[in-house]
Amino acid sequence: MRVWRLIGLATLATAALLLASGCSLGDDDDDDGGEAAATTGATTTGGSDGGGGNLLSTVQSRGTLNCGVNEAVPGFGFVSQGGDFEGFDIDYCKVVAAAVLGDAEAVEYKPLTAEQRFTALQSGEIDVLIRNTTRTASRDGSEGATFLTTTFYDGQGMMVRADSDYQELEDMAGATICVLSGTTTELNLESQFQARGVEYTPLAFEDNDPLQQAFTAERCDGWTSDKSQLAGIRSNWPDAQGGPDGLRILDVTMSKEPLGPVVRDGDSNWASAVDWAIIATLQAEEFDISSENIDEALESDDPEVRRFLGQPVEGEAFDPGLGLEPDYAVEVIRSVGNYEEIYNRNVGPDSALGLERNLNALWTDGGLHYPPPYR
Amino acid sequence: MSATTAAATRRPPPWRDVRVLRVAFQALFLLVVVSLVLFLLDNMVFNLRRLGIETGFGFLDQPAGFAIPDSDFRSSQSVQDAILQGARTTLVVALTGIALATVLGIVVGVARLSPNWLVRRAAALYVESFRNVPVLLIIIFLYLAVFLRLPPIGRAIEWVDVFVLSNRGLVVPSLAATGSTGPFLAVVALALAAAAAAWIWRTRRFDATGQPHHRVLWALGVVAAIVAVGFLATGRPYGLSLPERGDLGVAHGFRLGPEYSALLFGLVLYTASHIAEIVRGSILAVSRGQAEAADALGLSPFQRLRLVVLPQAFRIMIPPLANQYLNLTKNSSLGIAISVYEVTKVTRVSIAQGSPAPQAIAILMLIYLVISLSIALVTNLVNRRLALP
Amino acid sequence: MSVLESAAQEPLPLPDPPRRRLGPRAWARENLFSGPVNTAVTIVFGLLLAWVLYRIGRFVLVDARWEIIQRNIENLLVFRYPRDELWRLWGALFVLAAGFGLAAGIGSRGAAHATALTALRRAAPMLVLVGVLLAFAGSLQATLLVAAIAATAVAARALGTRLPLRGRLAPAIGLASLLGAYLLVAHFGGVGWEDWGGFHLTIFLAVGGIVLSFPLGVLLALGRRSRLPAVRWVCIAYIELIRGVPLITILFMGAFMLGFFLPEGIETPSAVTRALVAITIFTSAYVAEIVRGGLQSVPRGQVEAAQALGLSTLKTTRLIVLPQALRAVIPATVGQFISLFKDTSLVFIVGLTELLGVAEAITKQPDFLAQGLLVETLLFAAFVYWAGSYWMSRESQRLERRLGVGER
Repeated sequence: MRVWRLIGLATLATAALLLASGCSLGDDDDDDGGEAAATTGATTTGGSDGGGGNLLSTVQSRGTLNCGVNEAVPGFGFVSQGGDFEGFDIDYCKVVAAAVLGDAEAVEYKPLTAEQRFTALQSGEIDVLIRNTTRTASRDGSEGATFLTTTFYDGQGMMVRADSDYQELEDMAGATICVLSGTTTELNLESQFQARGVEYTPLAFEDNDPLQQAFTAERCDGWTSDKSQLAGIRSNWPDAQGGPDGLRILDVTMSKEPLGPVVRDGDSNWASAVDWAIIATLQAEEFDISSENIDEALESDDPEVRRFLGQPVEGEAFDPGLGLEPDYAVEVIRSVGNYEEIYNRNVGPDSALGLERNLNALWTDGGLHYPPPYR
Repeated sequence: MSATTAAATRRPPPWRDVRVLRVAFQALFLLVVVSLVLFLLDNMVFNLRRLGIETGFGFLDQPAGFAIPDSDFRSSQSVQDAILQGARTTLVVALTGIALATVLGIVVGVARLSPNWLVRRAAALYVESFRNVPVLLIIIFLYLAVFLRLPPIGRAIEWVDVFVLSNRGLVVPSLAATGSTGPFLAVVALALAAAAAAWIWRTRRFDATGQPHHRVLWALGVVAAIVAVGFLATGRPYGLSLPERGDLGVAHGFRLGPEYSALLFGLVLYTASHIAEIVRGSILAVSRGQAEAADALGLSPFQRLRLVVLPQAFRIMIPPLANQYLNLTKNSSLGIAISVYEVTKVTRVSIAQGSPAPQAIAILMLIYLVISLSIALVTNLVNRRLALP
Repeated sequence: MSVLESAAQEPLPLPDPPRRRLGPRAWARENLFSGPVNTAVTIVFGLLLAWVLYRIGRFVLVDARWEIIQRNIENLLVFRYPRDELWRLWGALFVLAAGFGLAAGIGSRGAAHATALTALRRAAPMLVLVGVLLAFAGSLQATLLVAAIAATAVAARALGTRLPLRGRLAPAIGLASLLGAYLLVAHFGGVGWEDWGGFHLTIFLAVGGIVLSFPLGVLLALGRRSRLPAVRWVCIAYIELIRGVPLITILFMGAFMLGFFLPEGIETPSAVTRALVAITIFTSAYVAEIVRGGLQSVPRGQVEAAQALGLSTLKTTRLIVLPQALRAVIPATVGQFISLFKDTSLVFIVGLTELLGVAEAITKQPDFLAQGLLVETLLFAAFVYWAGSYWMSRESQRLERRLGVGER
């Protein structure tokens, strides 16, 4: 009888330990009624050469794209009153979905905090991270991330109250600066002030809510973040606090902030596919193709345009071997638009953020966007 | 040779021999556990390598890249130094919190049994309100609704260079070390040693002769005398650093920041409400006969509390009190929500700046384990000393 | 009547001891003004208390802008749950009311009937909470549904006291109703737990945590008392390790590292799953310690008697020791559940939007941005937590008294 006790305890103990080690208590049968389940795909990489990977086929067979986004940044990623995600980065999630899946709405948006975003990408919880993320060397190197084409050239700025008389960073000696924790902003703040030899006190919050409270209560004298984010916050500043005119963004650019989509290291097929989906929007603007005139553009005689749109040129449609449909650009432009449309809709001069193109114009207009040739 | 002796010395076959089975089962169990752990670790190392994230502890020597406010930590120092600075903050918060919470808890616990109805009710109100609300909520609320609502630095409340109160903190005068501080501290150490000697001497004298020992007075007197002599002899061992209010902050002085205060007071208020319940329960657990005997001897209520009831109650309350101390220490990790740079926040920031998450979190858990086990050890020692023989 | 006969009769009933009934003035003199010190304390305290209560009352009733709660009451309770599927949640509440009412009825068969007044006093914190929620919701339909749910619970309880079912079925019925409620909300076209939020998520994490961690905790407690050193030391290591670290570090471990521990090909679990795993691991260590205390409280005589009857060790544990031990630890387990209920607020730090998270998120809506309304929302969240905790701790004290288990 002791034998049975021991065997019984052994079975129970093993079962309990397996349970405790957390083996896949995941969600499996929630697909009824077409509800999109939050399943995620992990790349099954082959050897350690980092070249293989089939996330592209995984996403295509799954039918939805898991996109890591922001949910509280006006203009880039936020939840509208109707409960939908909108913004510049959200539109680029749709671009990738349109290119890879043929359906711009087949996206599962996963809001992430600044500190979770890279671990979510590394662990395979999301397929692509489009969350106003700055490209840096250490992120390329040690975060296991691959950065794709920059979609937004931004810079870090400093916002102060309009009634304070700061003009330069040197004026802010001894000030308390609010910053969001876990971002390059924090690092840049430190290096910029150190380079100028100016003392300051940082106040780093996990979340924008206490940060905004602290700034409103005059706990800190400056708020540093990407200029596009500051513009968005300023545009929404309530009238009780002075409205947008109660704040001023200093005319100082503290760093280069090239923002773009990010994918995981080790899957160059997926990276190329996403990359050229992004580039398609830039190329479309260069060719002056928008969602309004896409149908006429399909009839165009220009071989460059036809090749770009995947239309047959001398009998054959051009397939660059990205694993996408030859005419993926058509779906992208039709359902989301070209770069100009995406920009103007979300952050353009007539939107709430009111940002001019400047560096974000095409190379033909003096900006930095230079799409590689589609050939 | 009889059949019975043969049967007695013959061992059962291995599959029925309890000793063999026990060893075999334990070996199997350990095998399962170890292989499970190795499996998990193997997966982790493989996944980290696949992503190009380092698997060792070399990240500790990298420059941190972030500054820690209210300290001397610079961003060029290593991650290891940052974590140690955070651990130091955690320890200070924990020990200060434990001291304050104990005092407040005992006061409120005794107040719960006060003969005055109003005091009883007020204490009950405090305990029932704070015990049932999550401590994170208390901390965040204190920060956002109390400390941030203090006047901004431009309209700070000042009192003649003695203190400055604003939503950037409370600044009070502090002692600034001068050249002769070192020798002075040596004198203070000497004074404490002499006081301990005086204490032991007076106690021995009391045990031998029975005359009142007044050892507290003697110890204090010895300390005061030696410190006074040392103070005069070393000149001015401490300067006074008075707060000076500027536009952006207060220079000099000792600053108690709003974030730090919110964390500390939140922890103290929450833990004290639990300690008050424990104290009340322990006092009620002391047999009523003790209290009645004290009354019969003519002790005043305060003397009864101090000399008869509380000492016995202490013995009962040490284990649950130790539990509350551990809870307070672990709850100090909630400083992460309001930007207090204790060790959890530092670890979290360094992970976001590129340190590998598994190793960093492992170090974090190790630090908490060490602090927890130390506190448990100390309270166990106290418990054993106070236990009835 | 002879002396013997009169002595053999029933003794006269003793009168009740005189109850001290003090008039209000005498009461005040004794309790408030019994001496100079006492009087001074009463005056000072009285003024202080009156001022504090006045400030709080004025804020809550006059100054505060509760509009943000009114407009967001659904968000606070269920966050992003699709509004056209809310009937599932109402249905789940009905199922739970019926199941728990039935279980309570079966469990309290034979107990003295409580008067309506005592029942009301028992349920007071819950009634206040529900009342406040309904006041903010301002919807007649919701009020009627809540009344119907309450009626279901009362009727089920009455039914339970009459049904000839064994008392041991009560926990089974409770668990079955939990399962039924979960299936209704999450399956058959419902929304899985990854998309739950608000107070709904808080309850789910707390209940799920305690239900999942209990079996594990019992196993760990038994393992810790095992005579096999290998088993014992592994259990001790696990328990002491988990109890020595804060919940937030285990949540971080779940959020950041769980994905790394899984071999490739297995999908990374959702954020809610990871939090639930972390909470289960954390709570199981504490439950193990509680159950261990219960196991220690079973007298050795019970085990010896079982051995004398020839029961195997497994049978002894299953039939004699565990039932007594688990009965003894019910109050402590309820206490742990209350702690867990409050600790679910920590998942806010790893990005889940439960009640505290929603309270912060709704202040970001364009209508309420940057107006310092966090005070109102945090107060509301604190009130909800307080009402739930206070009610459960009172029930736990009552349970303790009924079970006759004294605890310091």
